[in-house]
Amino acid sequence: MQLGDARHGKLADNLVGFSRALRRAGVPMDSARIALAGEAATWVGLARRDDLGAALEAVLVSREQDRAIFRELFDAFFRDPKVASKLLAQLLPSAEGRAEPSKRRPRVREALAPQTPPQAQRRPAEDQVDIDAVMTASSAQRLRHADFNALGIAEYRLVERLARDIPLPLPTLATRRTAPDCRGARAYWPGVMRRAAHTGGECLELPRLQRRREALPLLVLVDISGSMERYTRLLLAFLHAATRALRRREVFAFGTQLTDLTPAFAQGDTDAMLDAVNARIPDFAGGTRLGESLSSLRTAHARKLIGRRTLVLLISDGLDTGEPATLETELGWLRRHCRRLLWLNPLLRFDGYAPTARGAAVLHRQAHAMLAVHDLASLEQLAASIARLIRQP
Amino acid sequence: MTPAQTDSIDSLAAALQQTGYFADRRLATAVFLSLKLQRPLLLEGEPGVGKTELAKALAAALARPLIRLQCYDGLELREALYEWNYAAQLLHMRAKEGSADSAQIEREVYQERYLIHRPLLQALQTPAPGAVLLIDEVDRADEPFEAFLLEYLGEYQVSIPELGTIRASAPPVTLLTSNRTRELNDAVKRRCLYHWLDYPGRERELAIVQAQVPQARAELSQQVADFVARLRSAPFAGAFNRAPGIAESVEWAKALVALDTLTLDPEVVSDTAGILFKQREDVAALTRDFAAELLAPVEADSTPG
Repeated sequence: MQLGDARHGKLADNLVGFSRALRRAGVPMDSARIALAGEAATWVGLARRDDLGAALEAVLVSREQDRAIFRELFDAFFRDPKVASKLLAQLLPSAEGRAEPSKRRPRVREALAPQTPPQAQRRPAEDQVDIDAVMTASSAQRLRHADFNALGIAEYRLVERLARDIPLPLPTLATRRTAPDCRGARAYWPGVMRRAAHTGGECLELPRLQRRREALPLLVLVDISGSMERYTRLLLAFLHAATRALRRREVFAFGTQLTDLTPAFAQGDTDAMLDAVNARIPDFAGGTRLGESLSSLRTAHARKLIGRRTLVLLISDGLDTGEPATLETELGWLRRHCRRLLWLNPLLRFDGYAPTARGAAVLHRQAHAMLAVHDLASLEQLAASIARLIRQP
Repeated sequence: MTPAQTDSIDSLAAALQQTGYFADRRLATAVFLSLKLQRPLLLEGEPGVGKTELAKALAAALARPLIRLQCYDGLELREALYEWNYAAQLLHMRAKEGSADSAQIEREVYQERYLIHRPLLQALQTPAPGAVLLIDEVDRADEPFEAFLLEYLGEYQVSIPELGTIRASAPPVTLLTSNRTRELNDAVKRRCLYHWLDYPGRERELAIVQAQVPQARAELSQQVADFVARLRSAPFAGAFNRAPGIAESVEWAKALVALDTLTLDPEVVSDTAGILFKQREDVAALTRDFAAELLAPVEADSTPG
């Protein structure tokens, strides 16, 4: 950047506007980063658009899942100065909206869309969406897709918030990493030295290292039959976000057959995960043949149940169309080979629900416990319930 | 070796290429910014896309020593930063027993000569122009370790309680790599520039294979690059647990040369699948029929030319 460059002032404005749009689309952003983006832009110069894009991406993006959003927004924002200024104008509440006739994902479209004035009446509506989105049986009309579509900004925020506010801290077991402690097998030499220094080199007591603890491996089995379609998408999104930090997380979907969703869950972006899930599942919203699915889990993926330490979450309404005898055998095997088999049942939202369907009865008999997952409150209790159930002998 | 010019993105990319590393322009831009802004660069990407190689290439291009810290589950400060030589300290104490007071003994044993320098401390104390520090697979270490890295990455200094603060005279060029076995702490990310390293495009892969396996015939190198690119492409990627990285395609090309292969055919592909894939299911999935299907369009492309 040179003195007197007419673009200089505009660049700063553009960067700020662009960063704000990114933030609105759910990309974490702070002002230090925005300042650094300006510095980076001066280093690479404005001669090449792709260099500027790469530089801004290196500075403004810090998660793989945000890259696609960044690139779409960058393309839209810096396509040409006129578009950029129009878009900037759109950041103002009064500006006129401009339709983007493109295949952009909903989050980018919404981030670029004109902002409606922040009025008092808007807040409850937003809250209502939040509550609806978490699977209360009432309206939530727009969430009733038979398909895993991309998330809009509101849903994306909701899922990110759910994962942040409703963490799923799983019970732990001892790891190889150690910490100073009065018990343990290994001596803690820095502690020994510090104490010995005070007593002229005599070791009067031996501080030790105790093993630290780590979350149990998790295996999630999700029912994707027709009766579950309303819950599945958001539950998958929630689990994807809430268990992101887990080192050992396996996810399988079962409908009429078993599908390994673990590679899809390796996607950073929740939308990309849902896309990949969509591509992988051949039998979405069909029937449930839980017994057969569990049988293929046993034959092909038995090793995923790491030495009986794994916590299995089976998400299903128990409306099974398969053979109950097979289901009984397979669930029995699963129960014997994991730490805990927990049945998360969205039908628990109905008062007086009883597992009377054939599949549900078997599940009820074999699972260590049945937990509810139909609304915010039940999700909040989930972690606590799991911890309690693990502690039980 | 004299350090290469790195005052523009182009010259940096050329310098890396001199060492045999083919960086695309986005990556070169990120590395360039990391040098200019003196910020650590966090590289994420699938295993085998060349994250670690970049550090080696950068060290060679800048003519600086490469200091590598391999992170692993259970990595502790004393293995990463420093440790006191306890045995020598105890011997010293025993030798001085009775001849000095305890305060003096304590001063004596916490001298720098009893300090064992581990990679991070070495990187701080490397004289100008400084080192290239590679903190490899940082996602394998745990969160307490990341918290410690905050001061290090932000200020390039560490505090040793007995000695005080040690500050870098020449901050190391720092690269962190992660395979994303878990999400890193936001605070660490905020201190770093970020780059996601993708699998290379066909042209870049071809250049890499040709540079690394010069004895392979041009036709074979092209076929290897085409085949691996196709393996990773959308319609086929889902068939495997893990797509092969650059390291695998280079290994594969070497093996094919060793087997005197002139052109790829389904048989040779399925026989050598164990080099491309490291999981039993994936090796089994690359059957002759499937290999033939994967090779088909490549053959169609290459025959007219």
